Parts: sequence; structure tokens; C-alpha cells
Amino acid sequence: MDDAANSGISEPLDLVKLSLGERVFIKLRGDRTVTGVLHAYDAHMNVVLSQVEETIHIVDVTEDGNPLPPRIEKRNLEMLFVRGDGVILISPTQQ
Amino acid sequence: MDSASPQPEEQAAAAGSPSEFLKNIVGKRVKVRIGSGVDYHGLLTCLDGYMNVALEETEEWSNGRKTAEYGDCFLRGNNVLYISVLEAL
Repeated sequence: MDDAANSGISEPLDLVKLSLGERVFIKLRGDRTVTGVLHAYDAHMNVVLSQVEETIHIVDVTEDGNPLPPRIEKRNLEMLFVRGDGVILISPTQQ
Repeated sequence: MDSASPQPEEQAAAAGSPSEFLKNIVGKRVKVRIGSGVDYHGLLTCLDGYMNVALEETEEWSNGRKTAEYGDCFLRGNNVLYISVLEAL
């Protein structure tokens, strides 16, 4: 039933388990994404990452309410704890 | 209508409970829409009671444009608005 490539996945959290120690991409609420090495997670999707790059997508609005082209802000963090309720998506980064 | 009577197998997906439906669509190509209106198209690997979803060969679609691709992806259940099947059951 399972694909050979996914023989180890029987519940969605297994996908996250298989990414432990790997670099993952996480999409968060509030137009933020982070990538980092996954150190720990739990059922809430609270997550601990190292070597983190956070990307924030900002759309500024002019005084008359028109959106300006999106702006991207980045910052690097050594170690990061992400609260689970902000998580939308987790994907292992391909490299 | 007569939900107590046993269903023929091919009708089970249409007439069963929601969780039965979800069981039947594992392995199918699905569209998952999340609260923000972004869609994820992919092969449904599995899901759990929180409606956390694992997809393969995932495409992210946002206002009519493909915005990203992920080999595998985990979607946290609270964000899920609906799951729609893109192929015959």
C-alpha cells in the first residue's frame, strides 16, 4: 500500500521524525518562513531548530491604501524554539 | 437515507462517515485548502486524528499561481479548511 520510498511513514508525524537532524523548511503564520536543522519536535509541532534563517515577507501599504511590491527581510539565529500553533507546513529541504 | 443498512462497497466512500471517507482517500491525489486560501495539491500519504496531513509531490498554489513545490510535506491539522479528491475513488 505504501510507496517504497515512504515505507516508514504511517502517520503524518513520522515525516517530521524522519527529518530529525536534517534541514527543514517551515512555513509559519504571519508570512514568515524559517529553515534550520531540526533538533526536536513534539505533538504540538513545537520545534527546536539550529542554524536558522528566518524570512519575513512584508507588504507595505501606501497612505492611500495601495500595496507596494513585497519586501523580504532575513535574519539568522543560532538556536530557535518555535511554538507549535504558528506552524502551517514542515518540509525537508531537498539538497 | 437508510444509514443502518449495509452499503455496497463502491458506495461506502459516499455514504460512510467522514473518517471513513478520509481512510478511503489515502494514496489519492488531493487538494488541501488551508485557512489562508492557499491550496496544496499532492498525493495523500497519510493523516491523523488532528487532521495533520502528509503529502508527497506537493504543489503549493496561491491565487491561481504555483508558488512552490515540496517533495514531502507535513501540514498541521488546525490550518486545514477542506480536503478534496482530484481523482476517482
